[in-house]
Amino acid sequence: MKRIKIPVGPQHPALKEPISLRMTIEGEVIKDADIRLGYNHRGIEKLAESKTYIQNLYLTERICGICSHSHTTCFAQGVEALLGLEVPKRGLYLRTLVAELERIHSHLLWFGIAAHEAGFDSLFMYTWRDREVVMDILEIISGNRVHYAINTIGGVRRDLDNSQKGRILEGIEFLKKRTGYYTNLGTTEPTFVARTAGIGLLPKEKAISLCAVGPTLRASGVPSDVRKDDPYAAYSELPFDVCTADTCDVLARVVVRVKELIESYKMIEFIIKNLPSGDVKVKAPRRIKEGEVVSRYEAPRGENIHYIKSNGTDKPERLKVRAPTLGNYPATIEMLKNGYVADIPLIFAAIDPCICCAERFVEITDSRGYRNIITMNEIKRRYPSRHINKDYIWPL
Amino acid sequence: MRLKPAAFLPELLRHIFKKPATVQYPFEKLSVPGDFRGTPVLKPELCIVCRSCVRDCPAFAIEITELSAEEKRYRMIIHNDRCVHCAQCAESCPTKAITMNNEFEIATDSRLKLKTEYIYTRPKKATQQSTEK
Repeated sequence: MKRIKIPVGPQHPALKEPISLRMTIEGEVIKDADIRLGYNHRGIEKLAESKTYIQNLYLTERICGICSHSHTTCFAQGVEALLGLEVPKRGLYLRTLVAELERIHSHLLWFGIAAHEAGFDSLFMYTWRDREVVMDILEIISGNRVHYAINTIGGVRRDLDNSQKGRILEGIEFLKKRTGYYTNLGTTEPTFVARTAGIGLLPKEKAISLCAVGPTLRASGVPSDVRKDDPYAAYSELPFDVCTADTCDVLARVVVRVKELIESYKMIEFIIKNLPSGDVKVKAPRRIKEGEVVSRYEAPRGENIHYIKSNGTDKPERLKVRAPTLGNYPATIEMLKNGYVADIPLIFAAIDPCICCAERFVEITDSRGYRNIITMNEIKRRYPSRHINKDYIWPL
Repeated sequence: MRLKPAAFLPELLRHIFKKPATVQYPFEKLSVPGDFRGTPVLKPELCIVCRSCVRDCPAFAIEITELSAEEKRYRMIIHNDRCVHCAQCAESCPTKAITMNNEFEIATDSRLKLKTEYIYTRPKKATQQSTEK
């Protein structure tokens, strides 16, 4: 049969963010896939070099809207390691508390999207309604629903009081019941199981060789989790298990995430009951001596890595972010191969893609391999109206 | 595990008789928590012009200019259109002159309307305190 190429994206109803998936298909079967990035690049790494460490906390937070706490914690941990700061225990516990609440909110959001892609829209609405509970808890703790801004270099910015503790436990109790129901539903509802089982297969050996991360890797039966392998914050003292599944398909990814929700509830209850007393932060100096550091963090989507190089001033010389979604792209191509065109949205959604997280560096080349760099003068020549019209008010 | 057809049906039927989970927003408003990070507000009588808010603001939303050196008059502009509501200014301020209020409905038709300007004289007492430190 003749092979043809079809583009999915950058703008496509199946995708929530712009990315280009180029499928080579034979009839209805995908034979090869190619992923093109760069539609959502914002130049955050370069911007970070011109801001101080305190300002960068809020910049790194804006790399992602869903795992915002992951990026700040990863950055703050790195800077604390460069400074050799000892963060107070209470601060570490509160950091972990917000991290786990964020994991709940991210997994519930993903579960809703997976249900929506599988054609189960009622489940999508129920999970998103329940997600409001955890969003409200985060707002009570930090003062905002999405960008918590709870981290600072040397600890956390806000403390917990008893009424907040009560609200958290109340919310977790409700979510526990709902998650029990979803576990039951996700594994026994025949239409949902039929849609997700056996789709997007990623065998264990392939998952390891293609460097998949996070729940995608754990769903292929590899018990790998930064929280267990290289404990940061308060994870070395918390009781939790690494959740895995063996079926290597989309259903396994659902099961792993629902299991992780239950582990997160356990951890949050432990943190609230065993919160150490003391300070939440220590004072950090503004200037940081020369050095470099790699910081690892288990974000809801997988392993998040920040590399920070300091040069003795109050600004970093280089910040490199490896978001978990980037690590999962090679595995996604493997999952898509030999699947059907109708499964593309489901398989792609199953890695929990955050495209703007993974967009770091763009080099534009044409088909012959020439670099195409646009200079400032070229932009002025191409868009003369704003340049010539002196009365134009630049939006700043 | 055994599959159960229509496992979702009881939940679905129960929800027919429930109230909607959403709030009818413009007519009915949810309250925000006490320490919500809303719009930054300056109390000019407390400001000692140390400029730590200007230095730490990640969005460059605070501007301080000197109007007259002898009278110690200053102008602070808080650009709420650039503000990312992180409350770092409120945390950096040594005299707690900047606080965050509970306002979150700040949408307007022009970003110029979001600018707040404060013209004030630096209090004498506060300067003495700051030099003592």
